[in-house]
Amino acid sequence: MAGPAFTVEQYRRRQRLWNALESRYVVHLVLFLAVFFIVSPLIWQLVTSFKTQQAVLDLTYLPAEPTLAAYERALIDRGFWRAVVNSVLIASASTVIVMILGTPAGYVFSRFRFPFDNAVFVFVLFTRLFPPIGLVTPYYRIVTTFGLLNTKTGIVIANVYLWLPLVIYIMRNFFITIPQALDEAARVDGCTKVQAFRYVVFPVVLPGFAAGTILTFLYSWREFLFAFTVSTDLNSMTIPVATFLFVGDAGIDWAAMAAAAIVAVIPSALVVIFFQRYIVVGLTGGLKG
Amino acid sequence: MAAEEVGQAPHGEGVVGQLSDWVNDHIRTVLLGPSLVALFVVFIYPAVMLMWLSLQNTRGIGETFEPAYNYGRIFSDPTFWNAVEKTLIYSTGSLVLSVGAGLAIALALNKVLSSRVRNTYSTLILISWAVPLSIVGVTWRWMFNGQLGVVNKVLIDLGLLERSYSWLGNSLSAMLVVILADSWSRIPFAAVVLLAGLQSIPQEMYDAAKMDGATTLQTFRHVTLPYLRPSFFVAGLITWMFAFRAFAIPFSTTGGGPGGATETLAVYIHRFGIQLLDYGFASAVSVFLVGVTLIVATGYVYFILEQIEEIEV
Repeated sequence: MAGPAFTVEQYRRRQRLWNALESRYVVHLVLFLAVFFIVSPLIWQLVTSFKTQQAVLDLTYLPAEPTLAAYERALIDRGFWRAVVNSVLIASASTVIVMILGTPAGYVFSRFRFPFDNAVFVFVLFTRLFPPIGLVTPYYRIVTTFGLLNTKTGIVIANVYLWLPLVIYIMRNFFITIPQALDEAARVDGCTKVQAFRYVVFPVVLPGFAAGTILTFLYSWREFLFAFTVSTDLNSMTIPVATFLFVGDAGIDWAAMAAAAIVAVIPSALVVIFFQRYIVVGLTGGLKG
Repeated sequence: MAAEEVGQAPHGEGVVGQLSDWVNDHIRTVLLGPSLVALFVVFIYPAVMLMWLSLQNTRGIGETFEPAYNYGRIFSDPTFWNAVEKTLIYSTGSLVLSVGAGLAIALALNKVLSSRVRNTYSTLILISWAVPLSIVGVTWRWMFNGQLGVVNKVLIDLGLLERSYSWLGNSLSAMLVVILADSWSRIPFAAVVLLAGLQSIPQEMYDAAKMDGATTLQTFRHVTLPYLRPSFFVAGLITWMFAFRAFAIPFSTTGGGPGGATETLAVYIHRFGIQLLDYGFASAVSVFLVGVTLIVATGYVYFILEQIEEIEV
């Protein structure tokens, strides 16, 4: 290394400055600010959801008399509890379908050579990179033509389009980390190819499968564009769409909107709290080639 | 366990056996086929229809085939260029904020020694990523509300503002709010990707730099940054790509307003395609959006691949 262009004294001073920057006080200050920025909007929604309508208009910080009335107005008076049920059904069905289709496909891409295999894989990546907003207009027409407007099926099909390519890609990356020797050993022991996949390779990739499942569920749960395009009807709309519908009101009932928002966020937050590690694995595993 | 059952019947007998033989011989088709068929139905069909619709004049009654009509309108429509401009500002703003804040968080998290503390921070920071996008929008809409919003309230109580400011009623501040809301939901992703990159840097590199008498800044510049470059590209590309096509956040925060000040291309497409039912024009704009995204993404991916090879050598 070439000699430094500054004196020893300057070097020491700079080193001290940087050491101070790296100290744990600074580290925790940065993280504390980040957590404050991330969490405070949600805390504010939570606080708002316990307020009376009068407290909202009076601009108080904390509700003087905390009440669940806003939840009642949102979930029962408006009937948005049905949107919660729809969301659970749609996200679960989408996740099951996407994982059942995507896991074996990812396995094939990680193991076998076949004609045009690279082209087919690029096609899968292409569908992932394709901006979904581009498909909304034709999809709206197709859904109308086949009578799927305002149905849960219409939203599930959109979720399959949105998340299947992602799952194929993530699962391929997980399968690649497992040595092919494992498949071969199973085959030597008399497994058929299907059995080698089902009983030998699949159990090893289970953590990756869990990561894929959790990601797909969260993505389906929080999806808005297609859910909103397909349905704004209580029989099939999802809770993120229902919450958004408050915006169209003449005088918005902010407390009820906050209550609906909190109901929509709770499942996401619980999944993150319990499965944080899997999500990190899924998010980064889906990127490395 | 299963191996024993199979050992007895390498060549199947009866219908079930023949079926299992067939499956074994066509394993790729059986495992991959359903996915490809599904993708074909849910992707190729609408994608082809998109191309077809973009060539139709759907203004007025019925459809007539006029290939140049919608594309001609794109380039003569000033509101289209407004949407392009807003999309560029929005996606660049979100990219800079998300990756910048994500880097700060990743560097800080990497310095936390206790894995329990680190996981607690990660969990709290990941929460905004999991919030449904329309909820992100209505939350920020609520906080920055002109009459009842908490931001005005806090600023007035702190003496920083004299009277309520209409954040979402002013073009510039509305754009600022949607960019903040967008970054809020994207920062966790950038932080997670960059942290994974930081953790993959071998400790020996830092030890070697220390032995050579490098300052912390020099170590950061000559060890951390080069190793982090691929993660930067990935976090940057994905953040930009998703911000470029952002719909739910601007739509639910401002609805594209005031007066188109936050109307991104996606909101613009939705307005024409779903609200005004001008399928043809919306499809032509979609083709433009898709084209730009794919050109940038492809170029970028090639660039990344070259960069990664350089680093691994």
